[in-house]
Amino acid sequence: MYGWIWRHLPGPTAVRVLTAVVLVAGVIALLMLVVFPWVEPKLPFNQVTTQ
Amino acid sequence: MTTLDTGGPPAGDLDSPDEPPARPDRVRTVVRGIGELLITAGLVVLLFVVYEVYVTDIVSAGKQREATSQLDTEWNDEAPAAPEQQRVERFDGLGEGAGFAKMHIPSFGADYSFTIIEGTTERSLEIGPGHYKGTAYPGEPGNFAVAGHRVGKGAPFNDIDLLGSCDAIVVETRFNWFVYRMLPKKDEVDGWAAGKGTDPRCQGVAPLGGPYTGLVGQQIVNPSQGTVIAPIPGQAGGAPSIGERATLMTLTTCHPRFSDRQRLIVHAVLVKQWAKDPTKPGETPPELKETS
Repeated sequence: MYGWIWRHLPGPTAVRVLTAVVLVAGVIALLMLVVFPWVEPKLPFNQVTTQ
Repeated sequence: MTTLDTGGPPAGDLDSPDEPPARPDRVRTVVRGIGELLITAGLVVLLFVVYEVYVTDIVSAGKQREATSQLDTEWNDEAPAAPEQQRVERFDGLGEGAGFAKMHIPSFGADYSFTIIEGTTERSLEIGPGHYKGTAYPGEPGNFAVAGHRVGKGAPFNDIDLLGSCDAIVVETRFNWFVYRMLPKKDEVDGWAAGKGTDPRCQGVAPLGGPYTGLVGQQIVNPSQGTVIAPIPGQAGGAPSIGERATLMTLTTCHPRFSDRQRLIVHAVLVKQWAKDPTKPGETPPELKETS
């Protein structure tokens, strides 16, 4: 998977490394800002109120 | 001796040194893909822990700061020499998510202070400890009930399992300081008067009688036991008339830590009220110095 992505990145090695870093940062940002806040209330460990 | 296959081009195939495989082995590709997916999943889970424990703290700290400065502005914008009769607390018309009081627990350190937010929705609790709508307000007879996170989101109630009986929970409102103290724990009720009850800090704290018999400072309940925040904790219907109500404070959080299987409940009783002196802003009650 990662090898496949690496082979399909264009440009010389330096550019590839830069693109890869940007990709990883983008994925982390997507997780932190969108996915985790969405999934967090659905998980059973942070409910502090009684019903 | 074995070497780990890193998935790269084979350094030297012992079986057929002269015939390197023309195209990558399909089985190897699939297995490697699965392995990479699993490693990725593990990293995502780790990242989620980082998010939950650290990133939400940073976000909540900002929101808490904002709520606190908003409350300070609100408290200060009134003319300093307001007539005595106008210095009454007004809690009606509070919107969800609005800060209205501050809580201090001196035994957690002099800097332990959180602005209490109206309402207990996910969004409110992200800002700070949330007041259960419909329960009493600070100083009112009844049960002033507050929920707070124990993990992440600033974790205001991270350590409330460490609160001991008679520890002060000081609630600051616009015009008053209300000093609540935790009720005796279950194993301290017997022999309270001769035992822990002799501590000077325990003045005004004793096992409650009447309809409150059996109420202890700390309990662990199931999430469905909503009656812990009732005027008489643990009893759904039997609310006494206002005049007969004890003035209680109840804290709720999740238990055990990182789980929502149960709830940790702390009950405290009002022992003292200090009116803020308008001529001496910044004056704090002596209970705030009980930092040991």
